[in-house]
Amino acid sequence: MTPDLSVDVGGLQLRGPVLAASGTFGYGTEVPLLERRSLGGMVSKGIFLKPRAGTPPPRIAETPSGMLNAIGLQGPGVDALIRDYAPQWAAWDFPVLVNINGESASEYAELAARLDGVPGVAGLEINISCPNVEQGGMYFGNDPRAAAAVTEAVRARTKLPVWVKLTPMVSDIGVIARAVEAAGADALSAVNTFVGMSMDLNAYQPRLSFRTGGLSGPAIRPLAVHLAHQAARAVDIPVVGVGGIMRAEDALEFLVAGCRAVQVGTATFVNPNAIAEVHDGIAAFMAAKGFASLSDLPRYLPRD
Amino acid sequence: MWVLGFAAPEIASSVRAGQFVNIGMRTGMLLRRPFSVYRAGAGRIEVVLKAVGAGTAQMLAMREGEVASCLGPLGRGFDLSRTAKTVALISGGLGVAPMPLAARDARAAGLHVTWVHGARTADELCSETDGDEVILATDDGSTGFAGTAVSAAPEAGLVLACGPNRMLAAVAQRWPQAQVAVETFMGCGTGVCLGCAVPLMRGGYDRACTEGPVYVASEVEWRALPSHLSYAVRA
Repeated sequence: MTPDLSVDVGGLQLRGPVLAASGTFGYGTEVPLLERRSLGGMVSKGIFLKPRAGTPPPRIAETPSGMLNAIGLQGPGVDALIRDYAPQWAAWDFPVLVNINGESASEYAELAARLDGVPGVAGLEINISCPNVEQGGMYFGNDPRAAAAVTEAVRARTKLPVWVKLTPMVSDIGVIARAVEAAGADALSAVNTFVGMSMDLNAYQPRLSFRTGGLSGPAIRPLAVHLAHQAARAVDIPVVGVGGIMRAEDALEFLVAGCRAVQVGTATFVNPNAIAEVHDGIAAFMAAKGFASLSDLPRYLPRD
Repeated sequence: MWVLGFAAPEIASSVRAGQFVNIGMRTGMLLRRPFSVYRAGAGRIEVVLKAVGAGTAQMLAMREGEVASCLGPLGRGFDLSRTAKTVALISGGLGVAPMPLAARDARAAGLHVTWVHGARTADELCSETDGDEVILATDDGSTGFAGTAVSAAPEAGLVLACGPNRMLAAVAQRWPQAQVAVETFMGCGTGVCLGCAVPLMRGGYDRACTEGPVYVASEVEWRALPSHLSYAVRA
């Protein structure tokens, strides 16, 4: 018997629980080697209203079991996204969420309004957690009032499902999670990258031109499982776990920790077919354990 | 300098000069490492490397029969379709990497090939250069021309170069239309991570893995491209 891996996440019916994380899958037109049958959904590279050049090189540095990146949300702007990519997405058999970014709540709201009703755009993921921009990004994500204000502003301008991607750089993720839930979020993505730094011992300066970068990869996985779990305990809306998932067992840890679905990111850089392998591994686990559907998977989610 | 060979028939039969493979190991290093394909044929590809960091050291410790994942051929290689009678291949250090294939393809296109190869010292020169004419150069004068490969190179109808970015910047000064294969840190190799940004004269960045790694020299903003990549602590 093939287990049923479909899930309903914040207003979106997904055929599987594994999505491509923002910034690791471009606009879905790259990565030709992925077997897309198993892709539950995709979150686009983060977009701003206007085109952005991004940060100067070096932009990435490998660290133990992980990598730092500071891309700076390079992108073509929302007009080009709507013109060049959304029409392609409209023909695909999995939903595409657009990761939206702004320097003010009104910029996020404007983006939401522009993307509302665009064929091919199935949902929005509000990025209040990017560590690699000077304005906005993470600064909305570590203040519950600012996080709620952005979420409310977006909610008011779109009928699309709204997910909010949380930053791990907070003292209590539950506070932020509850604030954006109350402001109208349909789901949470937990978590974005951790802020990190690495030094070049020849140049005596940081290895990244932006000085700091977002740490991703297996190095952050236990931290991310804990934060996703804390977020899931704090809210009633679904949580999508993200952080260092390389294989099915890693994804299952997030699911057991209370997540409804997961996103795979850095693993795709290493193995372009990682998402399919994670999906198939979850199915094999379910079959071996005798679970007919994901709703049968036991969750560890004590409510204190 | 070491040569590693891999059985990779699909890549061997389709790779073009200047294209690369992104090589991943099951354990140890997380990210793949990009290498220009050095030679290809009979179902095999070769890459050249030095032990510059932990990842390359791990690759050099591989024994015959071990398996690595080779993703490729990736990127845009040299364009040899332009009309010219002579080509100068200019390589510095490990910049020899794309040149055997470039020499092969240039010869097949009927070009007279001059390969100019430079290194800091005679010990660091690659011994496998090949062409109708070979010019060696060393910074310390221990072999061949005393000075850089760029200053040792003759005029040619077509100039292809690979080496440290500061050498390529010098190539750009002398031959703005030269085709150069740049060196960047790289993540995915498939165009999604945007980690291998190459700054352009027209503004913005594109991706060494997808639009590159070969560029027309005058199109790159050399002042914004790191002149040397730091993989490990150097003496």
